[in-house]
Amino acid sequence: MSTEEKKQQSEEIDSNPVQFHEDPEEIQAISPWRDAFRQLRKSPLAITGTVIILFFLILGIIAPFITGYGYDEQFLKDRLTPPNSDYWLGTDDVGRDIFTRIAYGARISLAVGFFAIVGALIFGTFLGIVSGYFGKWIDMLISRIFDILLAFPSILLAIAVVAILGPSLQNALIAIAIINIPIFGRLVRSKVISLREEEYILAAKAQGLKNGRIIFNHILPNSLAPIIVQATLGFGTAILEAAALGFLGLGAQPPNPEWGKMLADSRDFIQLAPWTLIFPGISIMLVVLGFNLIGDGLRDALDPKMKN
Amino acid sequence: MKKFSFLFIMLLSFMLILAACNDESGETEEPSDDETGEQESGTDSESESESESEEADAEEGEQVLVFGRGGDSESLDFASTTDGESSRVTKQIYESLLDFDKESFEVVPGLAHDWEVSDDGLTYTFYLEEGVKFHDGTDFNAEAVKTNFERWADPEHEYAFTEEGYTYAIYGTMFGGFKGDEDHVIDEINVVNDHEIEFVLKQPLGFFLQNMAMSYFAITSPAALEEYGPAINENPVGTGPFKFESWTRDDQIVLEKNEDYWKEGLPKLDRVIFEVIPDNSARLIALRSGELDIMDGLNPDDADIVEQEEGIDLYTRAENNFGYLGFNTQKAPLDNKKLRQAINHAVDREAIADALYNGYAVPAKNPVPPSYLGYNDEVEGYEYDLEKAQELLAEAGYADGLEIDLWTMPVARPYMPDPETVAEIIQADLSQIGITVNIVREEWAPYLEKTSNGEQEMFMLGWSGTNGDPDYFLSSLLHGDNVGEGNRTFYENEEVNELLDQAKVSIDQDERADLYKQAQVLISEDSPMVTLVHSRPVLAAASYVENYVPHPSTSESLAEVELSN
Repeated sequence: MSTEEKKQQSEEIDSNPVQFHEDPEEIQAISPWRDAFRQLRKSPLAITGTVIILFFLILGIIAPFITGYGYDEQFLKDRLTPPNSDYWLGTDDVGRDIFTRIAYGARISLAVGFFAIVGALIFGTFLGIVSGYFGKWIDMLISRIFDILLAFPSILLAIAVVAILGPSLQNALIAIAIINIPIFGRLVRSKVISLREEEYILAAKAQGLKNGRIIFNHILPNSLAPIIVQATLGFGTAILEAAALGFLGLGAQPPNPEWGKMLADSRDFIQLAPWTLIFPGISIMLVVLGFNLIGDGLRDALDPKMKN
Repeated sequence: MKKFSFLFIMLLSFMLILAACNDESGETEEPSDDETGEQESGTDSESESESESEEADAEEGEQVLVFGRGGDSESLDFASTTDGESSRVTKQIYESLLDFDKESFEVVPGLAHDWEVSDDGLTYTFYLEEGVKFHDGTDFNAEAVKTNFERWADPEHEYAFTEEGYTYAIYGTMFGGFKGDEDHVIDEINVVNDHEIEFVLKQPLGFFLQNMAMSYFAITSPAALEEYGPAINENPVGTGPFKFESWTRDDQIVLEKNEDYWKEGLPKLDRVIFEVIPDNSARLIALRSGELDIMDGLNPDDADIVEQEEGIDLYTRAENNFGYLGFNTQKAPLDNKKLRQAINHAVDREAIADALYNGYAVPAKNPVPPSYLGYNDEVEGYEYDLEKAQELLAEAGYADGLEIDLWTMPVARPYMPDPETVAEIIQADLSQIGITVNIVREEWAPYLEKTSNGEQEMFMLGWSGTNGDPDYFLSSLLHGDNVGEGNRTFYENEEVNELLDQAKVSIDQDERADLYKQAQVLISEDSPMVTLVHSRPVLAAASYVENYVPHPSTSESLAEVELSN
């Protein structure tokens, strides 16, 4: 990104929070969020992604109303039944309805993705701003910590964290949050470093504004775009990581219907009863794909380069 | 949009290429491998001239058997472990004085070709095979036998390695204790000459000959004990048909043919590889693809498929085990008998046997298989009765329910092909009477260690018979002397101990049967475990594997096995 483009971008984005313009119509016309939203609506892929995620979100929310079974209710006589009108997606090896488990599993996956990313976002953004804005030794310290965390393959780090905390859904969530912190941290830090040099920040400083106000009123709003894009993309990864931990037996514990766990439990039946694997597998794939499509769409929409 | 579709096409084509590669290797390469390999093994001189790449074929001409199993051996020092995966391997390397018949627990000659028992049942004389050598070249003789037995009996023995943590619990169980113990049955061992040895007992032992045939009491080379010391568990040296070659933990154990084996013409195989594949279905896939020749621990669900499949044969072992849900009877809350009984009533064995074993199991009510001496069919057991369970739970003081940890085995066992699923069924069963079960997983070695230390609350395990005697089940699992060893429920009942002790020393089999029956009544009442099922484990082997006979003890010699064309 050349400096010229950067300046252009920040000018556009900056215009909203720093309300020096007097003509309201002009603000409306170039409001970057509204603009981005319009852009997003034009992208069929982003719409597809949104539809997929909404589908699973609603599925998770209304799970108790659309199925007559409990997610841990076992019908041993009907084990490994192929999909039929009683069991829409078939049953697993202890006779649990797979559709029910996938619906309840949507709650787990989406919740894990959401909370892990929100956690990582809050801590990562905070550390990133501190490190980028204040620089010096604190930047040195935080950046090196990020380097250390990023040096590990993320799933390995997650396994290590869960190994220390003990396997449970909650600890898997914490582990996923931790491995995502440096990703947000670095992103925010680099954004803040470039913003810090902007003239309007200098102006704010010259006016005697305190650091806290500069950060919250000027720096943070202007760093939001990349954070949002990263968060959306991060959702998909987080869900995938949760499923991986579940598969390894380090995430959700039985009888919780976590998708990765469902895959792990059914892998013995890949030949005998493929539906026990196909449906949880497809669910994981769709949700991750959905978030990635939204993330891609958002990135394009929020990126001023993409505007014609 | 453009970018995306481009990526998508790239991805698709990549997958197609991958798939194509796969097909080739699967369909064209493999059969050709097999064919040359088979030709080679049959008529060496002929096929060598025909073959295209002679070097590769010479390798394949070897008779190499790959045996797939679910878990690694704990140790290759057979007497200091009760792990079935260990004796499965040591059975090939070591031999005992006597042996079991191929499909039963009938005693047949082993390293001793003949034996005599005195009329009072106190003196046993064994006549040993002559000209047998250990793998290290030293002679097998009566002195070696004596050294081995003394090693197990005497913790002070120079090869006992007590300080390194070696214990010979199974010896104590089978022979009534150790040197100096009151109930230790072996009084003295006399070497008559190089090939004749005499065991003098303090008191009769109903199953002494049976013991001598167990793979736990095989003979190790004394020279190797001297050389390797406590590392003998990783450097086994015996007289068996196969020599130890290498051991990669959690991966494979390689055994080489013993060229100087004393039985003429055996073994038929040049090499045996025990390969660990924890996942049952992955193991079956490996068998199908030709990576394995025999696999233990077939999913009962897959048995029907295997039976119909060409090129693979289904084998079953005789019913000789039981899987159980054990309670730590010395730790709260399960030191409460009513609670244990309540849980016993709440577990639906019938459903587990039907659902998970595909008909290859029967529900168990006693901790000993039905075909055994002294099996008490009159024990009522605990029928599946939730109301009764709830009553007992209230009596136990847990009317509002409670939370319990359930430890589950990480590996498929012959008595339980899918322990985690059984755990989930039990979890669901118990939730119906208000007990919340947390399933805890451990790796196999720490699992055995921790359950031995009594860290568990509820746990799953099982037991497979190795000598065909009920004592091996009841005493090992439920005698107070074996707490922390075979007895991981930490169950101690004086009365039961006494009955088992009496039965052990009696040589009147009717009397023994009666004593065991009494013991089973008491055990059932105390409910130290939920006996789940007796299973008939299923295995699969490629059709070209010949003379493979699965023994009910789960360990069988592979000496006579060969790979045909």
